Amino acid sequence: MSLDPENPAETQTYGTPHSSAVRWLALGSFGALLALALAAGVIAIHLLGDLEAQQEALSRTLNDRTQSLSALAGSLAEYNEAVQQLVQAEHNRDQEIRRRLDHLTVTIASDLSSYPGNRDPVETALLAGMQDLFAEQRTLYISIQAAPPDERRRKSQDWIAERIAPLEKQILNWSGKVHTWNGQKLQDADRSLLTQFGQARAELGGSLAFSLGGGLVLVLISMAYIVRLERQTHHRYVQLAHSRQKLQQLSSRLLDAQESERRSIARELHDEVGQALGALLVDIGHLSTTLGTDRPEVGEQLETMRTVTERTIQEVRNIALLLRPSMLDDLGLTAALEWQGREVSRRSDIEVDVEADSVADDLPDEYRVCIYRLVQEALNNAVRHSGARTAKVTVAQSAASIAVRVSDNGRGFDPKRVRGLGILGMEERVHRLNGIFRVESAPDRGASVTAELPVPPVSGDKA
Amino acid sequence: MIRVLLADDHTLIRAGLRMVIDSQSDLNVVGEAGDGRDAVALAAKLKPDVVVMDIGMPSLNGIEAARQICSGLPDTRIVMLSMHSDEGYVLRALKAGARAYLLKDSAEADLPRAIRAAASGRSFFSPAVGKVLLEDYMRKLQRTGAEDSYDLLSPREREILQLVAEGKSSKEIANLLDLRVYTVETHRARIMQKLNLHGIPELILYAVRKGIIS
Repeated sequence: MSLDPENPAETQTYGTPHSSAVRWLALGSFGALLALALAAGVIAIHLLGDLEAQQEALSRTLNDRTQSLSALAGSLAEYNEAVQQLVQAEHNRDQEIRRRLDHLTVTIASDLSSYPGNRDPVETALLAGMQDLFAEQRTLYISIQAAPPDERRRKSQDWIAERIAPLEKQILNWSGKVHTWNGQKLQDADRSLLTQFGQARAELGGSLAFSLGGGLVLVLISMAYIVRLERQTHHRYVQLAHSRQKLQQLSSRLLDAQESERRSIARELHDEVGQALGALLVDIGHLSTTLGTDRPEVGEQLETMRTVTERTIQEVRNIALLLRPSMLDDLGLTAALEWQGREVSRRSDIEVDVEADSVADDLPDEYRVCIYRLVQEALNNAVRHSGARTAKVTVAQSAASIAVRVSDNGRGFDPKRVRGLGILGMEERVHRLNGIFRVESAPDRGASVTAELPVPPVSGDKA
Repeated sequence: MIRVLLADDHTLIRAGLRMVIDSQSDLNVVGEAGDGRDAVALAAKLKPDVVVMDIGMPSLNGIEAARQICSGLPDTRIVMLSMHSDEGYVLRALKAGARAYLLKDSAEADLPRAIRAAASGRSFFSPAVGKVLLEDYMRKLQRTGAEDSYDLLSPREREILQLVAEGKSSKEIANLLDLRVYTVETHRARIMQKLNLHGIPELILYAVRKGIIS
């Protein structure tokens, strides 16, 4: 018995007590990675939306302010025009123009005061410039108004040339500045938008790179783990195959040992005990011929001795035959099987028919023993359990295989549930010779045991 | 004087047998062999009338040795010694050329008669052999419900069956029964066919089983 004592320990080192922790860890990492990618996506979408809204608000305010400034410039221009009309017009229209100027004054003043706060310096400068302009216009208007009509007529050309025309120019100039400012502002907004975009892109790229890197690391770790598992599995498989082979070798050695032990005991019984008894029998015969005729009481005793000796010889012979059928050696497999069939027929209620004529006489011993023991065991089972009336043994040899079949017409059994030592032993013997073993039966359908053995490799043909 | 070669692997048994044979004035042991190969070699050298051969012997068993001796020396007869009364043994011994078959249990009592019968070309079988064969046969008939094929034979066929089994040739039988040889041959063929027998050994076995010869 050489069962490896280190095998169980070795198996334990490869156990996986931490496998569930690893599983959770892997699941957690994958989950976190997915969450990260998802969060990055959501943040990016949000950011884009924010930027869009911001830009829209910015452009709306800019638009509003530009419009206000332009309107202011327009009002100033109108005011200037009205002052010019006042200078040139007849007296009868004075009233009308003044009303218009007053109205414009109110509009401009309210525009100036209602202009939104938080202005940038350029904007403030623009407003201040326009406010100064307006103040100058008003001063002009007041001085025109204060002048008597003839002086107004006289001075009208000078006013226009010296005061009103330059004012008009200035208004145009301010209006151009407003436009420039607007353009500047738009450009600024665009630039800030671009910066923000760049920032968002950098952030998104960062989180994406982080996700990818994490995924890569996770994949690498998983791969390493899988490789480790595979290696372990392979190792265990090899181990299993190895121990299986060992077990098979062991059981095959056991069978061999059993067979050779049986053979030697049988030989011992036959050679020593049997021959001694035989010699005894011959001597008794001699004694009874020389002594028995003269003295009847001695003859009677010798007769009893002879009977006992004969019975003992028969006993010893039967035991030896059971252990190792000498027919296998004397007559070959076919005769031994036929003998066995007749023996079973004699001892039991089953009539056994044996058909084994096609089997070669020079089968190797392990094949003969395998087939012989298989048939023996199957017939034994039939006698003990089946209640059959007849049984049939066929052994047929073809070019590639030897088919052995033992069937009976008994009550049968369920081969899935009944699997005794006998069947296991047969299976073991057959597998040892790389054969296929089958038990087929069903309740009330009889039973059959089949074995298919590959024809033994030719080892030195009969010369 | 009948010259006998003894072949048995056990010296004890050989000694016992030799004693039995030597006690007969008309029998003489000319050699002893311890295994089958020895037996074949010695037989070729000594050309004995009868070889008394044990079936179970090392190196070359008795059956194989008998076959070789019979094919080499047609005038040498074989008395087979065996522990088994099984028909497998009897039939194979017959096929190997033996015409006498003795159980070792009764060898001491029957051996001289068996040797003499063999020497004169007749067959001899231990009475126990016929009994076992008959029992097997009857049991099989009974269990399988088959008919005894012996009932199919006519009286004349039974007569010829016995003579054939005793070792007589067709010519001898024709002379004995005052028939033409051709007629005897026809009878023989019919007997073989009716009894489903193949060859003389099977026919002799059948006759032993039925107690026609012993």
